[in-house]
Amino acid sequence: MRRYFGRKLFIYALTFFLAATIDWMIPRFMPGDPVQNMLSRAALHAEAAEVMHGYYTRAFGLDVPVWQQYINFWIALFHGDLGTSVYLFPQPVLQIIMRAVPYDIFLLLPAILLSWLAGNKFGAFAARSKWLDNTISPLGYILTATPYMWLGILLAWFFGIVLGIFPIAGAYSFTMRPHLSWAFVGNLLKHWFLPFASLFLVKFGGWAIGMRNMIIYELEADYSHYLEALGAPRKLVRQYAYRNAILPQITGLGLDLGVVVAGALVTEVVFSYPGIGYLILAAIQNQDYFLIQGCFLFIIIGVLLANFIIDIVYVIVDPRTRTGMQGETV
Amino acid sequence: MRKSILFFTSLLVALSLVLAACATPTPQVIERTVEVPVQQTVEVPVEVPVEVPVEVPVEVTAVPAEAPTATYARGETLYVSGAAWGPPSTWNPFVTWAHANTTGIVGNVYETLFTFDPLTGDLTPWLAESGEWSDSTTYDLKLREGIEWSDGTPLTAADVVFTFELGEQYAALWFSPVWNYLDSVTAVGDYDVQFTFTDPLYQEWSNNLYNIAIVPQHLWEGKTEEEITSGANENPVGSGAYLYESHAEDRNVWVRNENWWGTKLLGLTPAPKRIVDIRTASNNIALGMVVKGELDLSNNFLPGIAELSKKGYVDTYFAEAPYMLSANTAVLFLNTTKPPMDDPAFRRALAFAINVDDIVNVAYAGLVRAANPTGLLPSLEKYVDQDVVARLGYSYDPAQAQQILADAGYADVDGDGFVEAPDGSKVELEVTCPFGWTDWMEAINVIASSAQGAGINIKAATPDYGAWNTALTSGTFDMTLNNWAGMSNTPWTLYNLLFRHPIQETMGSGNFGRYDNQEMFDLVDALARVPVDDEAGMKAACADIQELMLTDMPMIPLWYNGLWAQFSNAVWTNWPTEAADTPDTLPATWAGYWQMGGLLTLTTLELAE
Amino acid sequence: MTEPKKKNEFLYFALRNNKLRIGLTVVFFFLVLTFVGPQFTDYTPYAYVNPMGAQPPSSEHWFGTTMFGQDVFTQFVFGLQATFLVGIVGGGLGTLIGVVVGFVAGYRGGIVDEILSTITNIVLVIPTLAILLIIAAYLEVRGVFTESIFIGCTAWPWTARAVRAQTFSLRSREFVDLARLSGMNTWKIIFQEVAPNMMSYLLLVFILQFGGAILNAATLDFIGLGPMEGISLGMMMQYAVLWGALHLGHWWWFVPPGAAIMAIVGALYVTNVGLDEVFNPKLREM
Repeated sequence: MRRYFGRKLFIYALTFFLAATIDWMIPRFMPGDPVQNMLSRAALHAEAAEVMHGYYTRAFGLDVPVWQQYINFWIALFHGDLGTSVYLFPQPVLQIIMRAVPYDIFLLLPAILLSWLAGNKFGAFAARSKWLDNTISPLGYILTATPYMWLGILLAWFFGIVLGIFPIAGAYSFTMRPHLSWAFVGNLLKHWFLPFASLFLVKFGGWAIGMRNMIIYELEADYSHYLEALGAPRKLVRQYAYRNAILPQITGLGLDLGVVVAGALVTEVVFSYPGIGYLILAAIQNQDYFLIQGCFLFIIIGVLLANFIIDIVYVIVDPRTRTGMQGETV
Repeated sequence: MRKSILFFTSLLVALSLVLAACATPTPQVIERTVEVPVQQTVEVPVEVPVEVPVEVPVEVTAVPAEAPTATYARGETLYVSGAAWGPPSTWNPFVTWAHANTTGIVGNVYETLFTFDPLTGDLTPWLAESGEWSDSTTYDLKLREGIEWSDGTPLTAADVVFTFELGEQYAALWFSPVWNYLDSVTAVGDYDVQFTFTDPLYQEWSNNLYNIAIVPQHLWEGKTEEEITSGANENPVGSGAYLYESHAEDRNVWVRNENWWGTKLLGLTPAPKRIVDIRTASNNIALGMVVKGELDLSNNFLPGIAELSKKGYVDTYFAEAPYMLSANTAVLFLNTTKPPMDDPAFRRALAFAINVDDIVNVAYAGLVRAANPTGLLPSLEKYVDQDVVARLGYSYDPAQAQQILADAGYADVDGDGFVEAPDGSKVELEVTCPFGWTDWMEAINVIASSAQGAGINIKAATPDYGAWNTALTSGTFDMTLNNWAGMSNTPWTLYNLLFRHPIQETMGSGNFGRYDNQEMFDLVDALARVPVDDEAGMKAACADIQELMLTDMPMIPLWYNGLWAQFSNAVWTNWPTEAADTPDTLPATWAGYWQMGGLLTLTTLELAE
Repeated sequence: MTEPKKKNEFLYFALRNNKLRIGLTVVFFFLVLTFVGPQFTDYTPYAYVNPMGAQPPSSEHWFGTTMFGQDVFTQFVFGLQATFLVGIVGGGLGTLIGVVVGFVAGYRGGIVDEILSTITNIVLVIPTLAILLIIAAYLEVRGVFTESIFIGCTAWPWTARAVRAQTFSLRSREFVDLARLSGMNTWKIIFQEVAPNMMSYLLLVFILQFGGAILNAATLDFIGLGPMEGISLGMMMQYAVLWGALHLGHWWWFVPPGAAIMAIVGALYVTNVGLDEVFNPKLREM
């Protein structure tokens, strides 16, 4: 078990190192000059443009050699300093991201967990009879094949505009200021519901299909037939099948995180939900080096953390990993 | 077991969210205990990477005595959008490029000495009571007595002197070039300021008068260079009609300053107690909110407004096309360093080859107007020399374009349907605009296809904003659109953009096509030195510029972008329109427009029945 | 030889498999539409053909027209082309890289496997869309083809892992051992013995990659990081949303592109399961 976690941690550390390096590298070789872009926004009076350009280039540390920028990047990273945003100047990147993270957790955690639980339940349910299979499975296929943004657009259009019962932009009403009250929490939830629903539905379809197929594999496995031959009740056989089928689903949860992040990104764009996905797009459009890096780092850290938690859960659920067998997963 | 964990987790998540949302800074009345040294100038060695300040010295903020409201009463609140490019990030009136994110910081919180009315062309004294040139190099300014900063300190001549001297001290401030021709600023009395100039650029100076925001000396003299030039200046203390109340990622909330001097001295009171300035991620969200009456004034560019206006969902300045006032000129800059665009005949032919009508009617569905060939906005029409335009103007006429080309020796030698240059080389050009600027993307498609129709091979391309901007400022583009000169009191603003000089390696703020003609530069400089009250002199100077511009055609003004404004009469009424019985101000919330009638519009609003 | 009989058996089950029939029919329908569709329209995707602007579907414009009076049907059929191109190139490249890496890792084992698996696992955890976003923003000029290449280059890891596991199990089978004993070289064994036994599996993998590439491209296009020229289904949705189609009720603008993506990808998934049932006799009973 120690080796198992040791290996995992090594991989994660290596992943983080490489991801951070890529992260540092890519935006730096983007075309264009971020300081110039930023200043060109001033439009009004750019008399001082030259002076300001030099000033901000120094302020952002872009005037030192590239290798030194890389070293500075790591030094700053270990100090928890992700730099200053160009686009939201002069706010520190960390502060901007910390404001966005709660919305992501609020959106993603329930969407991931609930869709996983519900999907597994319904998938197992579908494997029970031909009739259920014929109703749940097609629905699952349709949902899982739906592009996130299209479902988002449809939900926004139908519930937000045609029926007008849900707001379709922002995290809470423009008529409110944040405070602790039922009215405000209700308002938060109302804004949260549609983005959550579009993420949940697509994921739900995927998990249901996955579970259904897994169970069918398991039910056709030799041990199931053997159990049945021994006269074990169908319910018991299904229970065993479910327990075995859930393992790959847990692994799948870890592998799927990157996809969910992508889904959350477009969903946030459709609903203008102020999470990291929304932020990273704005950062890219404004060529904000530091903000892009920060967002990406946070996504990586989030995904790695989640993977690690899933590894721990896996060890708890699958006894084989505990008794020294090396996990086949990551 | 699993369920309870899940429940607990979701509870935790929900709670964290509520707390996070609540964590937005709110104004607090804090006793200021920091001793501010009388005159503290901190020299910052330039080589050291500059730490960007985030913590700002605590300032006293005057906030209405009542507790901050949780839900804003609809009848007291004005919802606006369309000015913010991104989440609010700074409240520093000198960080001009971020103003779009916190529109109103100049105009509503910090104020300018004068305001400007683009519809009449008049400069109106604001913080100033009067201002005049006592001789050709001395400008005497008299401040109004009785103006107070929102912390109760009086606004005096010392504040004005202090503000201007910041520009002398810090080159990074946008208005520091004023010191190229300004010699000194002195407080003659408590309310009198004298400016003496070495080489007065009257046009630029008049423009500065309504753009430089005056800041309080007693709060700003203790700030460091970084704080002044780039600090976020949270909890701003200004002299204006509104106070900062709160902000979030997608909004800025301003609350009315009940002690504002304007009420006493000018008899003006803004009607809305609160302004919620909303940043919409995309224009279509604003569209939805306007339709629902959740937004009172949208300054976004909204497609389909003609349709909505007909159905009665929204109102616009004009009841018919173009619906909007014109706000700035979209100019097609031609890179005059590249053949064949170094040939005036070719440039002139191009001007006749572009189907501006299609841009106006199809790409914009009639929301904009074709530009006057001089590029001057309708509000500056009196400076257009009609005789020059009649002789040298242009309009869409492919036959004429082909004639000019043929006369200049351009002919389709290889029979591909497109002309070749007189020396036989192929003409293959690209017209660009940033990717994602959808209305412009449609417009350059029209430019390319109509030019092709006239035999000039032009293709439309939409590089990324960054790449586009690099090409623009470093002069590697062929031809591209730009509209960086907005409404102004002087034609000099436009000509300063079009003929900026000297030509440098990077042209960051104008003359992107690198049109290098000393004669033109001299003409623009001559205009800059004409006193603003010498209308005849200005007209004469403009006529010379226009004559040369339309002869040489270094760039082609195409259409006027609108002052996008659509408003709802559901809650607030009496919006400015062309109708005679409505106010003659601008329905605008863009940065820079508050002192151009935006604030006055708020003072004439009325609650709907 | 049992090959012919086996093939007939597959065909027999394939023709009787409902999932396969439905799935293939839908995919085939759209594929045909991609090639035949342009014949039914006289327009180009961006031409302003309707001076009335946005109009609902009619006999003149089957899918209605956009805000500017562009024909939605024309955009749709040309958009489908981009979609299939991305699916084939992106999905194909993803499969190819995944299969090569997985094969080599699984077959060679040892240190090679160790290195390749580590790389695979690293790329696997990194959220590909975030990388794609940054790369897409980095490119000055973006086309459908480059988009496909980048999608393929980031989509391979799960395939590599799956193929590696399959190769592992095949490698230890008797016929491979026999081949090895008879002195065949590694590549020959891979191509003559291992690969044919995995063909069915690779087909399944390719179908999933195909669908995944389409979804990824739609995402990129929707947020404005898609190709700068031409049209795609994702771009149609982007334009529709940008130009306020939701609020103005121009549903015909944003419904068809999303529905087509959903139908194609869904049909691919169903085909995948259908094929799985055909190849894997145990699953046929359900």
